Amino acid sequence: MTVIDILFRVDEICKKYDKYDPEKQREANAFLDDAFARLYSLVEADIEKALAVRFLFSYPFLLLFSFQTLIFQINYWNKMQKSDKVSTEKNRAAAVALSAEIRRIKARLMEEVPKLQKLAKKKVKGLSKEDHETRFDMVLALPDRIKAIPDGSTAASNQSGGWGTSSSNKKIKFDSSEERFGSDFYQQTEESDQFRQEYEMRKMKQDEGLDVISEGLDTLKNIALDMNEEIDRQVPLMDEIETKVDKTTSDIRKNNVRLKKTITQPKFLH
Amino acid sequence: MSGSDPGKLISKADNLTTLSLTRWSADWESATRLYEQAANGFRVSKDYEKAKLAFEKASKGREMLSSPWDAAKSMESAAALAKELRNWTEVIDFYRKASELYMQCDRPQFASDSLAKAARAVEDALPSDAIKLYSDACVLLEDDRKEQMALDLYHAVTNIYVKLEKYTDAVAFLLKLGLAADKCNATNSQCKAYLSAVIVYLYAHDLKQAEKCYNDCSQIDAFLRSDQNRFAGKLLSAYKEGDVEEIKRVAQSRSITNLDSVIIKLARKLPTGDVAAFKTNAAIGEEEALDENDLK
Repeated sequence: MTVIDILFRVDEICKKYDKYDPEKQREANAFLDDAFARLYSLVEADIEKALAVRFLFSYPFLLLFSFQTLIFQINYWNKMQKSDKVSTEKNRAAAVALSAEIRRIKARLMEEVPKLQKLAKKKVKGLSKEDHETRFDMVLALPDRIKAIPDGSTAASNQSGGWGTSSSNKKIKFDSSEERFGSDFYQQTEESDQFRQEYEMRKMKQDEGLDVISEGLDTLKNIALDMNEEIDRQVPLMDEIETKVDKTTSDIRKNNVRLKKTITQPKFLH
Repeated sequence: MSGSDPGKLISKADNLTTLSLTRWSADWESATRLYEQAANGFRVSKDYEKAKLAFEKASKGREMLSSPWDAAKSMESAAALAKELRNWTEVIDFYRKASELYMQCDRPQFASDSLAKAARAVEDALPSDAIKLYSDACVLLEDDRKEQMALDLYHAVTNIYVKLEKYTDAVAFLLKLGLAADKCNATNSQCKAYLSAVIVYLYAHDLKQAEKCYNDCSQIDAFLRSDQNRFAGKLLSAYKEGDVEEIKRVAQSRSITNLDSVIIKLARKLPTGDVAAFKTNAAIGEEEALDENDLK
């Protein structure tokens, strides 16, 4: 049985025996007649989820509180084990997708906030006056909490890739404030200076080498072209030589034949 | 054979050839043989004057025997000896005679060859005669459609003209070189010839002519596509800018070293004279153009 199967079985069993879970029952029953409380709990749950998922992506090996997120975490870990490269790719793309989703959730939650405010003002039986006021404060604190959920548009993400997170261009500033980049900036240039110098030196050496090669090639080309012309010049001469030599060989052959005849012929002595 | 004194041989041969009451016809065959023997003997004993004479007579004998080839060969030997004696007019005469004899044999190559030898011999002493000899040699080759052989001769003529500082004539011959190279599809030589022409004009400090020449040569496809064309363009633009450093740098490049040695020397000496003048001329030219437009 794989881990996934175990997880699913556990999930099913938990769901089946949910009715015996005292905490959950209390939660389910507690806010039955309190619309505000219900809505508020839903909003809180959403915030927690968003945070957890966000956190999950930044620190994949951290243990998280909610059970669902734990399952998600283990699944994710399995996937990471399978292929690192793909997962980093997926990670970034998924991070982008997740950030978009979180932003959607945030927008939805921000819409719910005014509803909560109205509900908070309403009087509910069974609640003390202090609780009522705290409720109001909680509602006021909600927008800040919602905004604080990192969704990739703030600089809170510590992801190593960083590409998905900086896709929204709020980070890129042309006239950045001096204090912010002051000391960091100068630290960097010592190393990058050296690197740049080395780069320039190597480039110069390469250029020199290439110059030498090009000179050599020029000379070679010239020599080759001159050789070409010379050989072209020799070709008709060779043809002439060929004809003359052919003629000469045929003459010699004729002469040889005659000589042979003369020698081998019996001489008639008169 | 040549055991006897060459002088004796010569006198004997002379006797054979001179007509007298006892002799009605000259015995050229034996005479020629004797003459040649005597000439060789003289040459060995380094008596060049007499050897030359002997060769001359031998050649005449061969001619009488209607073998122009051998006659020409003897003439050439005579001419070589005349060169040793530094008797330039005789050198020229002998070589010309030899080339005529070669032409009789229907061997224009050898004819031009002997003329070229003559020119080479006298080019220091009598450059104008040398030029004449070279041009005649080139004409012979071109008639025979062997322009490729002529390329070296053209180079030699150009060198003489440059030495005489007759730059326009030098350029004329370079362009003739280009033409000859074009006929035998020797594109590299052709492009080098045109580049050399531009350089000679620049050395003569005649930018206008140089530009005109460059434009003319650019009409030719082979030149247009070549490295030499790019180099010439660079050189001319450097001149127009009036930038001495640029000119020197461009002239040091590889394309120059592939040219003839005389041209390389000229290129190394560039720029001659005041390059800034060209710059101002160019500027004035532009201003004038503007004025014309304004008037319009």
